[in-house]
Amino acid sequence: MELTDADLVARVLVDDDQHAFGELVRRHQSAVRGLLRQLTRTDVALADDLAQQTFLRAYKNIRGFRGEARFSTWLYRIAYNCFREDARRRKELVGIDEAQLQTQHDPQVANPGLRHDLMRALSLLPLNERSAVLLCCQNGLSHDEAARVLDIPLGTVKTNVLRGREKLKRILADWGPN
Amino acid sequence: MEQVNQEDWLDKELREATPYIDDAGFTARVLQQLPPPRRSRDLLRAAILLGMTLLASVLAYVVSGGGRFVSVTIERLAALPALWVFLLALASSLVVAAVGATAAISRERLLRA
Repeated sequence: MELTDADLVARVLVDDDQHAFGELVRRHQSAVRGLLRQLTRTDVALADDLAQQTFLRAYKNIRGFRGEARFSTWLYRIAYNCFREDARRRKELVGIDEAQLQTQHDPQVANPGLRHDLMRALSLLPLNERSAVLLCCQNGLSHDEAARVLDIPLGTVKTNVLRGREKLKRILADWGPN
Repeated sequence: MEQVNQEDWLDKELREATPYIDDAGFTARVLQQLPPPRRSRDLLRAAILLGMTLLASVLAYVVSGGGRFVSVTIERLAALPALWVFLLALASSLVVAAVGATAAISRERLLRA
């Protein structure tokens, strides 16, 4: 029987079991790295550095995980904080000029076309709308969970998701169903 | 209806936009950077404590003139009334039980958290 995230967290807490923590990393690395790649506008190297920081911080602060939210939601919150701290240090990531926006090549996005345009459209959204759309529409978090991750009011999350989706639909109008 | 279809289409594309990212050594790199496990730190701490206890015991034995105080204390205990000996044993066992119960409760809280 496969252990749940809560079981693995308990093993890390009680026995400092690093194999159990390794299993947690293996389970969530793709989602965390994916989220950070989108937040950093597909800067793969930076996203992976931030993902490593995220998991190290999670290990050091695992006693702070009280099981009120899903483990993945807790990880997203740490990842988002790591991204924000890094973005504050490199102001150009947040206030990037759209004219300068040349999305770097992401090896995972090999198929140009709709997916390429969607990535580009996402990267054009302001950070608050992009992060809300990514968490709710891509990673399947509820508005309430996203509000906790982003540390903003629930109403703001709903507004940001709505605005972000509207902009995406407008940018990708040619791809939509007629 | 068209609006619903459009939202479904966008949601589907968003969900599929990020494919599964292969681990490719990522987990191993994270594990390499973790601090040493607490168990090895605990073992070192236990070894130091045991060594200090042994040293202190040897020192106490030498300083007390070959542990004469032990035989004197046993003689005194033997001279006590049976009720006093019983009460002493009861108090000692209660203290040990209380310490054990506290340790068990704190561990159980950790597991629940």
